[in-house]
Amino acid sequence: MGFSQGGRENGRFVGSSKSNLPYSLTPCSILLALTLASACKKSEPTAQEPAQVRVAAAADLSLAFRDVAMAYEKKTGVKVVFTFGSTGNLAKQIDEGAKYDLFAAANVSFADQVIASGACDGATKAPYARGRIVLWTKDDAKIDPPKSVADLADKRFVKIAIANPEHAPYGMAAQQAMTAAGVWETVKPKLVYGENVQQTLQFAQTGNVEVAIVALSLAIVVEGGKYTLVEEAQHKPIDQALVVCSRGGNAAGGKDFASFVSSADGRAIMRKFGFVLPGESVVKAP
Amino acid sequence: MEWHPLLLSLQVASIATAITAVAGVLTAWLLASKRFPGRELLDVIITTPMVLPPTVLGYYVLVAIGRRSAIGGLYESLTGSSLVFTRTGAVIAAAIGAFPLVVKAARAALEAVDPMLVAAARTLGAGPARAFFTVRLPLAMGGIVAGIMLGFARSLGDFGVTLMIAGDIPGETQTASLAIYDAIQANRERDALGMIAVLSVTAIAILYVVNKLGAGDQHVR
Repeated sequence: MGFSQGGRENGRFVGSSKSNLPYSLTPCSILLALTLASACKKSEPTAQEPAQVRVAAAADLSLAFRDVAMAYEKKTGVKVVFTFGSTGNLAKQIDEGAKYDLFAAANVSFADQVIASGACDGATKAPYARGRIVLWTKDDAKIDPPKSVADLADKRFVKIAIANPEHAPYGMAAQQAMTAAGVWETVKPKLVYGENVQQTLQFAQTGNVEVAIVALSLAIVVEGGKYTLVEEAQHKPIDQALVVCSRGGNAAGGKDFASFVSSADGRAIMRKFGFVLPGESVVKAP
Repeated sequence: MEWHPLLLSLQVASIATAITAVAGVLTAWLLASKRFPGRELLDVIITTPMVLPPTVLGYYVLVAIGRRSAIGGLYESLTGSSLVFTRTGAVIAAAIGAFPLVVKAARAALEAVDPMLVAAARTLGAGPARAFFTVRLPLAMGGIVAGIMLGFARSLGDFGVTLMIAGDIPGETQTASLAIYDAIQANRERDALGMIAVLSVTAIAILYVVNKLGAGDQHVR
């Protein structure tokens, strides 16, 4: 519900609402204009309507942050509306004027990108978690799951999915790990690329790839599969950072939700999803 | 500027168009000329890809021809390569969106041909096949070609289904629309601009020709 609402207001759609001249006669675009109009109305908080916080968050957070938001909503009564996606994609949308109060990136460099463009406040940038990657295999796969990244070179793995390393931080880490293990060139022809880490997992869940390299935070909760943790030394740390943004119109709310994420309650939830938290250096292998 | 994704897109769209042209006209002829139970239902099923969200459509296709499916499994056991994540998969993705456009246009064009003309050909001794190929098909050609061209444009621009089943493999299934998306996400706008320009010009040129064809052919509504 909140998911689709956030999506509607991304940069591309807002852009198209301006040009309602040439094709506005079709019923389809009238409908689109109406939904956009109502969506715009909602973005101006009124006295009766409870305030809400709009958060753009990396796909690896899609399960963890929902739980965090539920706890936050219970405590404060404030609703959190999420847009989950590839970090690079979200950063791009924020650069282009998408209205969010908080951006939780899967890699600190993308937080820096939106700060540089002036959309978000550099003073609020804070690390909130460090991600880990895992090798995920479906339970009913007729093959032995890989024991390490180097195993991926074995021919029993025909297709392997990773998130697109061009713009998805977990995909970058996957590529680094394979390079470090010395199997990048062997594995490369077997690779298929998910748009984000969730789609990458979906390729394995639907049995279309034997292995998917995904975020531990997803693997830990998703049923129907097994996973092997990739050694952290094999890739650059996936340092995730969040930053408060101004265009959403509720920066105070963004700040408040951010501090909830790093509060004891927030950290407990994030820990449950396998994130390494700021100030804690080790994650126990499952 | 990257040329490879563009060339790949042209290749994929051309093959997809060849397939949809033949299958589409055949289907359109069936719908326009034959009465059989479930005729309109078939039309509805064929049209569905035009209105389904690409994600839903892509998911159906992923499940239908994926490596765990009957079709995908059979194909893989015969050829040693999967259907999804290959160029063949990209062609399927491109063809699915184009097929209804071809069928719709061709059916309308065939139905718009005056049955009296076909009947006249028959009284002059032409068999059903000859009457079709020398009278009905040529008269409907403007509309059919317009539909095929629209189908080509649709194939060239497919994003959603391709994203979901082709695996975005550079040099293999990374078509221009995927490459543009990736380039923009990765802050490489400059790489995207050339492809954006080529795709835009192609689309506009095709629409222009389609309009011309439509205006010149009175048999097509």
